[in-house]
Amino acid sequence: MINFEDELKKFHPSLEVEDAEDAIYNQDLTDMADILVKMIKETETKTKKEKKSDEVQ
Amino acid sequence: MFCYNCGCHLSEKDFCTGCGADVSLYKRIMHVSNMYYNEGLEKAGVRDLTGAITSLRQSLKFNKSNIEARNLLGLVYFEMGEVVAALSEWVISKNLSPDKNIADDYIDKVQSNAARLDSVNQTIKKYNQALVYCLQDSKDLAVIQLKKVLSLNPRFVQAHQLLALLYMDREDWERAERELKKCVDIDRNNIQTLRYMKEVEQMLMPDETVKQPSRRKKDEAVRYQSDNEMIIQPLSVKEPRRTGVSTLLNIAIGLIIGFGVVYFLVVPSAQSKVRNEIQQDMIKISNESDGKTVRIQELESKIAELNTQIDSLNQEIEGFAGEDGTLRMVENLQRTVAEYLQKGDMQAAADSLENISQNVVMEEMSESFRSLYQGLMASIGPELSAEYYKNGYDLYRTNDYTSAIDILTKSVYYDAQNVDALYFLARAYEKNEDAENAIAAYDKVLEQFPDSGRVRDAKRYRDALAKIQTQ
Repeated sequence: MINFEDELKKFHPSLEVEDAEDAIYNQDLTDMADILVKMIKETETKTKKEKKSDEVQ
Repeated sequence: MFCYNCGCHLSEKDFCTGCGADVSLYKRIMHVSNMYYNEGLEKAGVRDLTGAITSLRQSLKFNKSNIEARNLLGLVYFEMGEVVAALSEWVISKNLSPDKNIADDYIDKVQSNAARLDSVNQTIKKYNQALVYCLQDSKDLAVIQLKKVLSLNPRFVQAHQLLALLYMDREDWERAERELKKCVDIDRNNIQTLRYMKEVEQMLMPDETVKQPSRRKKDEAVRYQSDNEMIIQPLSVKEPRRTGVSTLLNIAIGLIIGFGVVYFLVVPSAQSKVRNEIQQDMIKISNESDGKTVRIQELESKIAELNTQIDSLNQEIEGFAGEDGTLRMVENLQRTVAEYLQKGDMQAAADSLENISQNVVMEEMSESFRSLYQGLMASIGPELSAEYYKNGYDLYRTNDYTSAIDILTKSVYYDAQNVDALYFLARAYEKNEDAENAIAAYDKVLEQFPDSGRVRDAKRYRDALAKIQTQ
């Protein structure tokens, strides 16, 4: 049996035209490709640092 | 596909031919993104819009720059009535890929029609207001507001769903079903819609095990759809047997209700109509009456003016024909002339002329009147003047200066050339101590008769009088 109050909570106010700008700016656009590139670059940096420290020792 | 490191075009190899970076994982991510896009495209094709949104969002999570996926997501949002969400996706798409992007056309189409954009915004505001009404438990207001929203934007799925939920809450299952069917027509696989539909169908067609009041009703009725209305025809309802008394009672109750309706609804309406008609008639009559009153006043003032003119003309006629009127004076003059010619009574003619001269203004009389008057005066004037002069001089000699002045004045009147009469008139004034008139009379003697033998004495007396006056 559907409960009206519970179901009502699932409805959210729709975005108005005035709110469009905020919605666009606040959208998190980070994707998997960004994360992968970041991880690769961090790994490369880390490897370089380890190589440097090995050479110093 | 381009290298994430140097931007070089990638080949089929797992490394970049430009910078040598390992792109195997990057390529797989791009492939997953494309796979989700294809899935979303297929779902959108069969109107599974909710499924399409899920797939397309997934695609964008793997590759935010998947322009086709983003544009399609915008289109799906637009189809579901979420115009602002659609615009947001297209704007982001346009920013990520400014050249040769169809999102540009979509944005232009929405924004070029300002009225349409305003209508969309109003729709969204009304929907949000309806949601507030729901939270405030003003469900009737929410239903009204949602109906307005759907009349403006019939593809707004969320509004259909909320309206269906409200109908379900008031157990209006048929209407709820109708709204949900509209939702399904737009978005076939919306979980929320399907859940509500299941609930509604259970209520409308429950299975044998569930005992519902509405279920029993359904079993006992034939249901069919006619346009938008659900017709329910009961099958096993038997007309109760009515006795004669109950029939009469029902007829009596019906009549009472009928009279009540006539008395409380029809009669006041008819009375009000009649009252309005009477009021209109009164206003019309009042206006006509005002117009006629003004006309009467105008005519009355005209009558008063004409009466004044009549009085004035009557007075004028009276002036001509009255006791001392012009006509009477003309008649008197004619009679005087006739009598003088017949009898030769100069004194009577003189009296009559004197009377006439006192009652008329000679300048206002006709030419013929003046001519006749002057003719008679010329005939009798010198003789009369001589007669008056003789009498006046006698009175002067007896020192009765007042009487002498009257008589000598007449003598001068009847003959202005009688210098002796004028001279002794001046003397009588002087003796009577009327220096002003005396000087005036002496002056006339000096001016009118400079060659007369009276001039020297007149000048002497006059100068003496003038000297006394200046002292």
